[in-house]
Amino acid sequence: MQFVDQLLTGLSLGALYALIAVGYTVVYGIVQLINFAHGEIFMIGGFGAMGTWLLIGSATNNLSWWMMPLMLIGGILVAVLTAVLMERVAYRPLRNSPRLAPLITAIGISIFLQEFVRLFYGEIPGFPNAKSAVVMPSIEGFTGQAIDIGGGLLLQRSAIFTLVALAVCWAFLWWFIGRTRLGRGMLATSQDPDTARLMGIDVDRIIMVAFALGAALAAVAGVAHGLRYGSIDFRMGFLAGLKAFTAAVLGGIGNVNGAVVGGLTLGVVEAMASAYIPGQFGGSAWKDVWAFVILILVLVFRPQGLLGAKAVDRA
Amino acid sequence: MKLPTLITPELQRRHSALARIITVVGGLAIIASAYLPWAFGPGALDNMTYLGGPSTVQLLGAALGVPVALGASMAWIEPWLDSRDGLAKRIAAVSKRIAWLRGAKAAATGALVFIAVVVLAIALELGGLVNVEWGGWIALLAALAAFAGTRLMVPGRAPRLHEVKPTGWLEILGIAAMLGIGLLGFAYALNQNDGGTFVAVVVCLTALVIVAMRSGIGGWLSLAGQRNRNVLVFSAFAVAFLFPFTQNGSDANMSIATQVLVFSATAVGLNFVVGLAGLLDLGYIAFLGAGAFTAATMSMSVYATIGWKPPFIVIMLIAGTVSALLGLLIGTPTLRVSGDYLAIVTLAFGEIFRISMSNLDGTDGPDLVHGASGIPGIPNLDFFGFNFGQVHTLFGIPLGRFSNYFFLMLLIMAFIVLVFSRLNYSRIGRGWIAIREDEKAAEAMGVNTFGLKLLAFASGAFLAGFAGAVKAHVDSSATPEQYIFLESAFLLAAVVLGGMGTVMGVIVGATLLKLMPEKLRFLADYRMLLFGLLMVLMMRFRPEGMVPNTRRQLEFHEEDAELAQEVDDELPYEFVEERAR
Repeated sequence: MQFVDQLLTGLSLGALYALIAVGYTVVYGIVQLINFAHGEIFMIGGFGAMGTWLLIGSATNNLSWWMMPLMLIGGILVAVLTAVLMERVAYRPLRNSPRLAPLITAIGISIFLQEFVRLFYGEIPGFPNAKSAVVMPSIEGFTGQAIDIGGGLLLQRSAIFTLVALAVCWAFLWWFIGRTRLGRGMLATSQDPDTARLMGIDVDRIIMVAFALGAALAAVAGVAHGLRYGSIDFRMGFLAGLKAFTAAVLGGIGNVNGAVVGGLTLGVVEAMASAYIPGQFGGSAWKDVWAFVILILVLVFRPQGLLGAKAVDRA
Repeated sequence: MKLPTLITPELQRRHSALARIITVVGGLAIIASAYLPWAFGPGALDNMTYLGGPSTVQLLGAALGVPVALGASMAWIEPWLDSRDGLAKRIAAVSKRIAWLRGAKAAATGALVFIAVVVLAIALELGGLVNVEWGGWIALLAALAAFAGTRLMVPGRAPRLHEVKPTGWLEILGIAAMLGIGLLGFAYALNQNDGGTFVAVVVCLTALVIVAMRSGIGGWLSLAGQRNRNVLVFSAFAVAFLFPFTQNGSDANMSIATQVLVFSATAVGLNFVVGLAGLLDLGYIAFLGAGAFTAATMSMSVYATIGWKPPFIVIMLIAGTVSALLGLLIGTPTLRVSGDYLAIVTLAFGEIFRISMSNLDGTDGPDLVHGASGIPGIPNLDFFGFNFGQVHTLFGIPLGRFSNYFFLMLLIMAFIVLVFSRLNYSRIGRGWIAIREDEKAAEAMGVNTFGLKLLAFASGAFLAGFAGAVKAHVDSSATPEQYIFLESAFLLAAVVLGGMGTVMGVIVGATLLKLMPEKLRFLADYRMLLFGLLMVLMMRFRPEGMVPNTRRQLEFHEEDAELAQEVDDELPYEFVEERAR
């Protein structure tokens, strides 16, 4: 029973990673850029959702279930806006410069966004100070008692939310990338940007869409994170972003399905490692270390990831 | 990337003579305004309330006015000098090779920024723009006039000063002057406890450096430095060595200066990896931490966990070796991946290091470093009876604890710089640069890319371990929270902002990055925000850093024909001779 319990914990944690990992993978697939600041977009999505509730629900302390979709929309809007702005202002001018430049820019953006939220979130009237963790509202139906799913297994409501969100987002991605004009434009651009441009695809727009798509999913993850841990924090993007990047690499960067599979695998491995590694090196204190060890091992032995079929030039 | 221009060449041709007069008048007015009162209260910056008694900040403004006025009026002075005989004619010959107008242009921009900063600082510190007295407004107007005037003039010739046949004593004199100004500026900036004055001084020094670069004097100095490399390096260290003696026994500034040295030594070590070999390492702080923890566990601290207490030299070597081994451990598997992947793997490694150190506390792992609380109470070093914690008096000047560590770090810094410059010009260094430029081509040319990359990683780690061993004693403690990712980002920023692949640039970058948080306390909470913004802006507008390696600078601006010409122009005298033949 403990095994199934850990598996479920791992899967729900993995779903969170997967939602963020999609953003890394989509952007990488198209511009070959590791958008290091993506973890911050995730964090901003969480704060955007929180802000939405503060604006429309906090006055009457409205905790009804329909607040959640509104929070999600608010979070997605803020995250998408930030990501698109970031692409336009910081990344686009650097598109043809040596690869070091965008990476350092990304670190700069990352620090900037964290500090921006930390300093200015509380300045908005009615908003709490974000210098320490901000407690998420207990939305009815999404928080509270764990649900008994039979056989003595309990599943947290936040875990169900995350898994359902991943399923919905995955289905949406499948439809968007395979069935819409924009999505197929993304595919074409990722295969060969120059030819895609010749075929009449507006590559700049496609890149923007890729950033927006990743940001939307990251915002959902931000809400899921808030539900899972009960609070959000301006620092939460760093570790989560790093883990999600690990998940993206594990699944094969550039491959959307790979990001999902990689995320779930990483979550399960983490949960299993903290439960089953005996002695002092087991337990939750070391689980992050094991996740990063996996990242290093994957890059060494299977750099194309679990689902990456084509030989990627790792340069 | 060019901004849209209001001023067309045609406009410049028509108004050039008028513009020159405006510029000269503006420059003279900037100088004169130093003697006017700028502020109503003595509390702003240094006291700028006197008529006829300029303060240091005001004199710095005047120092920017001189190149404006001189640069613009040179077109009149030069023919007159040329018509004379003897010394005047020789001066004219040299003057013809200096890009006076370009220098004046840079000086006018610098003066405008400087005076704007000062006026703003007065307003902020005294509460409102009403506290700026008429002298300040005149200075601002004069700078605006000079700025507009230089923009309206026909752009001047390119500097050709470097083609002048080298004169040994003059070059050494130039180097000495440069270092002297550098020491004075650094000491002065360090002594400013007022944030506004500090910013103003930094702006002024930066502007002066840019003026020198644009007018060609800077290029000549850097060539002189290259030709007299040993003189330059030795006198630079002599200047640094003299620095503690200027502090009159005060340890406050020495503490900052020592931190700056530790930080720059580590940054120069990182420069091996990033600047030369082009391997982006985001977990470099882990090597510094490994050195510090190694030294801490073997130190005389009662919390140290290893019973063996070797002399400090041995500890340093062990610390370096442990770091280098860690570098090999992480490098061997990961150096097969490159670029962004390597950056992330090293970042993950840095996190593994930090988390592991926090976990080695006895409950989650063996009790090696006492987990998050770390190893406190590391006693001061003691070399053959020379205790680093005590005040020693030399030439009648007391030198405190941090001065002692400053001297030790200076020695280590000298060692690192020596290693760096020797390697840079060796087969290994050229191999690294080849890898940085194009790994595949380098491999095809027979460069052992894997071995060299590993060597870069290990030697960079070794030097960081060295610095870490001292850092543990300077801080008198080692805790995991000192070695977080942000510190790695700071180190990388020092390398990138300063200029990759040059020792000078990295030291400048590291100094600014460590000094600014200490001096800009009035920004307190906004420091990190500005740091992030600075990194983004720097990558956008000057990705090659403040003191760039010229070849690298060209890499970032491939389409810039003017810059290519400039780089070509800056070839040393011997090359120009060669080409003329």
